[in-house]
Amino acid sequence: MKGLGAFLIGMIVVLLLRSTALSPLAARGIVVDVLAFATVFWALRHGAVWGATFGFMIGLAADLDATHWMGRHALVLSIVGYAIGRLARTLERESGRTQLIIIGLAVAVHQAWVVPFELGGLAGVGSGWPYLLGRVFVGALATAPVAALLLVAARRLTGRSVFGHALVHPG
Amino acid sequence: MGGFLPPAERRSSALVALYVATSLLLLAAGERLPQAMLRGVGAAVFAPLDRVIMAADRVTGSWRENRELHQRVAVLELENSRMRTLAAEGRLLREQLGLPGYQDLTLRPAEVLALTGEPHAASATLSSGAQHGVRSGDAVVTSDGLVGRIGEVYPWLSRVVLLTDQNAAVACEVESTGVLGVLRFAPAPRPRLVLTLVPFADTVIVGQRILTSGLSRRYPRGIPVGRVARLGTADGGLTQEIEVTPAARLTRLRHVFVIPGPADARGTP
Repeated sequence: MKGLGAFLIGMIVVLLLRSTALSPLAARGIVVDVLAFATVFWALRHGAVWGATFGFMIGLAADLDATHWMGRHALVLSIVGYAIGRLARTLERESGRTQLIIIGLAVAVHQAWVVPFELGGLAGVGSGWPYLLGRVFVGALATAPVAALLLVAARRLTGRSVFGHALVHPG
Repeated sequence: MGGFLPPAERRSSALVALYVATSLLLLAAGERLPQAMLRGVGAAVFAPLDRVIMAADRVTGSWRENRELHQRVAVLELENSRMRTLAAEGRLLREQLGLPGYQDLTLRPAEVLALTGEPHAASATLSSGAQHGVRSGDAVVTSDGLVGRIGEVYPWLSRVVLLTDQNAAVACEVESTGVLGVLRFAPAPRPRLVLTLVPFADTVIVGQRILTSGLSRRYPRGIPVGRVARLGTADGGLTQEIEVTPAARLTRLRHVFVIPGPADARGTP
């Protein structure tokens, strides 16, 4: 029950951040990909099943909010959550460098999948690939350091490891 | 193959396969689902939280905004008195020429609770809904210019399709010359508003104002939309492609006004 509450609160906080505090930043071209970050966080902390479920649910909420192409966020985020949840066993989850790389990769994959929909499919990517690359790189560069810093700050403030409660065999 | 993975991993693989299949199904047939109803529920859940978060932002901005607005009111009052005289002359001339008059606009104020879409907001949630007289298709403006139109209406909230939505199209004209075109949002190669379908025979100059033409019955004539920023050629080379800087600040929306559409066009998206 407690876990479900945290799941729902996590989703609501992420969606609120995205539609309020982060939207002026996004309008200036700096997309802090809080959806991918939250999915990675959940997958590293709770494993593949919860990572995929969180990614799917939050992706579905984002899809519904976006009016067009329902399922695009849900598809990629559930796969990202699952893959990172599976990898979590072999990763040093508390390492800042690992978090930086994992979050950067997750953002890159997420953006590389969703941006072509905005460009009108493969035909649009043909002419809009500089825009696509820009979104992928700026998204990864803007999100990964901020997210890694947040995790470091959370670890310092609480005085314990962020992913310390993860299962021995997540998923 | 079924025994290759341990049972727990098989279960998690099956779950993610279910998620992937559901997502693909939604991508293929999601447009047929009653999404408006689901979005209405979501908007109702998030509206109080959006209000709390936006309140802090608004309190900090209100003092500076109040001073600016006082100054602006003084300037506009002076301009208004001059415009009234000109409007009276214009009405008289239109009567003499037998032309129809301009529609008087009713403005319903509403607060913007949330903007949706990355990197450019494509829709916004408003604090007014069907209970406040808002109907699907009504035009939405700020004091600077056109913002979009109402796309979905819920009992106490509504959703605006902004000019930056890829499906938005507004019939426009260039001020004073009357050159006609259709304003659309182009996401690539860089996001911008573009006035399309303007023949090369029509002369357009950088800096000219773009207004709604009234040819689309949803938007009353004469609402500022933006200014010509750059001239170009459309793909195919048959028409001009004119880049437009929006009049309204679409990324910093706080308060807007809903303009009720014509009675026979209301309620249709």
